[in-house]
Amino acid sequence: MTAAPITPPHRGAQPRTRRPTRDWTPWLVGTITAVVLLLLLVYPIFTTLASSFVPQGRPIAWENLSLVNFERFFTSPLYQRAFVNSLVVSLTTTAIATVIALPAAYAMARVEIPARNFLMSLSVIPLIAPPFIGAYSWVILLGRRGIFTHYLDQWFGLSVPTIFGPFGIILALSLSYFPFVFLIVQGALSAADPYIEESANIMGASRWRILRTITFPLVIPSIASGALIVFIRSLGNVGVPAVLGGDYYVLPTLILFQVEGFFNLNGAAAIAMVNVLLVILFLLFIRRFQGRKRYVTLTGTTRGARRSRRPLDVFVGTAYVWGLMFLALLPQMLVVFSSFAERWAGTLLPTQYGLANYRLILGNVLQPILNSVTLSGMATLMALAFGLITAYVSLRKRFAGRWLIDITVMLPFVLPGIVTGVAYLTTFNTGPLAMTGTAAILVFAYFVRRLAYAFRSISAAIGQVDTALEDASTICGASWGRTIRKVTVPLIAPGILAGGILVFSTLIGELSVTIMLFSGKWKTVSIAIFEYLTSYRTAPAAAMGTIVIVITLTLVFTASRLLRRGMADLFR
Amino acid sequence: MKQRELRIRGLTKVFETPEGPVTAVKDVDLDISGDEFFSMLGPSGCGKTTTLRMISGLETITSGTIQFADRDLSALPSAERNLGMVFQSYALFPHMNVFENAAYGLRLRKVPGRQIQDRVQPLLNALGLQGLHGRYPSDLSGGQQQRVSIARALAYDPDMFLLDEPLANLDAKLRVQMREEIRRIQKELGVLAVYVTHDQEEAMSVSDRIGVFHLGRLMQVGPPPEVYRRPTSLFVADFIGKINFFPAHLGTADARGGRAQLRSGVEVEVGRLERLDPVERDDFGIDTPAVVAVRPEHLRLHAYDAPDARGTEGTVRRVLFLGSIVRFFVTCADATKEVLVETADPPAGVDEGSRVRLSFAPQHATCFRS
Repeated sequence: MTAAPITPPHRGAQPRTRRPTRDWTPWLVGTITAVVLLLLLVYPIFTTLASSFVPQGRPIAWENLSLVNFERFFTSPLYQRAFVNSLVVSLTTTAIATVIALPAAYAMARVEIPARNFLMSLSVIPLIAPPFIGAYSWVILLGRRGIFTHYLDQWFGLSVPTIFGPFGIILALSLSYFPFVFLIVQGALSAADPYIEESANIMGASRWRILRTITFPLVIPSIASGALIVFIRSLGNVGVPAVLGGDYYVLPTLILFQVEGFFNLNGAAAIAMVNVLLVILFLLFIRRFQGRKRYVTLTGTTRGARRSRRPLDVFVGTAYVWGLMFLALLPQMLVVFSSFAERWAGTLLPTQYGLANYRLILGNVLQPILNSVTLSGMATLMALAFGLITAYVSLRKRFAGRWLIDITVMLPFVLPGIVTGVAYLTTFNTGPLAMTGTAAILVFAYFVRRLAYAFRSISAAIGQVDTALEDASTICGASWGRTIRKVTVPLIAPGILAGGILVFSTLIGELSVTIMLFSGKWKTVSIAIFEYLTSYRTAPAAAMGTIVIVITLTLVFTASRLLRRGMADLFR
Repeated sequence: MKQRELRIRGLTKVFETPEGPVTAVKDVDLDISGDEFFSMLGPSGCGKTTTLRMISGLETITSGTIQFADRDLSALPSAERNLGMVFQSYALFPHMNVFENAAYGLRLRKVPGRQIQDRVQPLLNALGLQGLHGRYPSDLSGGQQQRVSIARALAYDPDMFLLDEPLANLDAKLRVQMREEIRRIQKELGVLAVYVTHDQEEAMSVSDRIGVFHLGRLMQVGPPPEVYRRPTSLFVADFIGKINFFPAHLGTADARGGRAQLRSGVEVEVGRLERLDPVERDDFGIDTPAVVAVRPEHLRLHAYDAPDARGTEGTVRRVLFLGSIVRFFVTCADATKEVLVETADPPAGVDEGSRVRLSFAPQHATCFRS
């Protein structure tokens, strides 16, 4: 230690004595947040709720209140069937997705599987690529003249139930959504304190007993969280049942039918409310399993769980995980494959390959992609700005009613996509805030739909920043805004970027909301694909789907490289 | 040297919690001035950190005033109080290198680049950080990070230097070295320092004065030797160093001391009298109107049958040989707990299981009485 004299303090460095000023920035920001949330989220939800109790075409008023829209659920067989179908589809999908995801999650966390990082990255692809894009692949594979159908019949004499209807929908949705359970549970299993299992082992418990009495109970809350997401997603998905449903209606396709066929917004609102009711019921049911969330705590242990290297374990684990991933990615791969098929009629495999499909869509692809990028981009920027502010305020500021912001922001997370679509259509169709047909309504709806994603990513990032860093900046003399700009934002930039990519890439192929709100001028790429698919022009649909898959995958891949984080981590 | 004074009056902090209001700091009065090194000492949850955070403006004040150089700080946001602060976690900006961390406050004050160089460079060098200016905090050891955070806090010539348990994350040897260094640089810059710690040895070794906190109250303020030798409450007596309590009845007493009777009837002379707070008396489980307090190093241990043996009786349970001193644990009916005796010169023939007598000189005994 040198004892060199320190130069005398600079008098010039003294701040001038200012009159005390109150920092109003937090209040201003808080107010704007509240106003936007009220206007874009709370108001549409309440309008929808209100208009579901008003007969078609009547204004919302006390004297017009009636239950006529809900009556159909008791009188119309179509409504009753759609209701039952929706329940069957989402419950079965949730059950199947959970059951197939658990062994994979356990294997990834506890067995040394080759190429695990690569596998983890693969597992997010079904989440990025919109399920309806791959849905038609199941027709190619398991349809009446499908490839699998052919061989199953030829080799085993098995006949496959028709792909159009519950079988196809549940198959496509389960394989698209199981990664939600897989990623959450795998994360929890990997983070669990290895000492707990080891101590059980030392006490003489067998592997199966440990799994049954310790490992599994510990991750029940994670399983519940994953299952909840799967349920909400499958209940709100409109694309897959629209492509594979035929005359098998579920609530989202019934909404679509009411809106496109009769423009019956009040009827659609009522169906949407029934949809929300189902989500609430499931939420209440699943909460019983989430109550013990405090179980899995990240301990100070830096040691991860030990992964088995026993050949049998490795073999079984590898076969299962790879098999499952192959099945899940098969639709996407088939989309890419069939986009290069020029001639594929009446034969098992294409008879001619080439770029004809791409040439075909050349003139029609640019505008929809540009539209999608513009709309998603603007919504992403909004969601990030907003997510940053709300996450900051909710984590760092103490004020009454903070929980209200938390709940409001997370609300769209439990709202099925189609419900948001109906809400926006109902609310902003007429009146002072009429936006139907504009880009704005799509941007706002996208924003509301993904705000929770941005909020969660950024909250997680802010949670990592020691409050003392901000205190230190303040003490050094920085104002609130300056501290945010100089300290907080630079430190959470990776989190913001990750959140942004997540929001953007999942918006590019968004269908559930878009299908309700798009207009001729603002047709997105997802709508273009959907229109091709529903008019059975599957080849150009595959070409356009391939473009979407490539764009989103490139984005997520680049982000994970930039952030030096696994692709899977971006989605947890 | 800045002849300015920090004046705290009636400082109170009440936290609203779901279980109702909790008073973390109650009615603290304090004056600190010039280049004094002042430590706030107490067990965790005693209100010392909350007091520091109120001085810094990171915590709002429920009632009371904080003035510095006759200016009211209470109404001033932290950013405008011109303070330097060192945090327990150092709180270095991980995205800035050593130099930029240290220069942060000067940049905020729009000091020209050259002047920043002229100020930060020698400061970093004085803290032994030459050659590390371009390093990032993650590449530094705990001690180096601590030095950077000190440099950052002092670079812009703050009016006060606040330290919140700055050494808690360092290993024992480095702690001793760093605390000396903190004091050296503080005196060199002549800045008023307020230091929060729960470590009494740390507080005693660096401070000009100590304030001992307990349950949100400032119990006693004074230079370390005074607080150690003349504690005014059972808590301070017990918290600073070690002490033995002998419940007693006070007989005659005047300004220079008095005579007290222990529970066994043994009479002792005490040289100092203090007031006994009835609440504290209950807290320490004392059932007599008075209590005599004697530090372990002031107790004399006699073999029971030694010719000069006197005082209260006890039995040695355990003897610890600690090198420079020997520590005896003595079971004694006259004390509230097992009696601790420390001596460099243990009497011959006293071993574990020996019966002994304990005595003390009046000038080393304090009697707290109601």
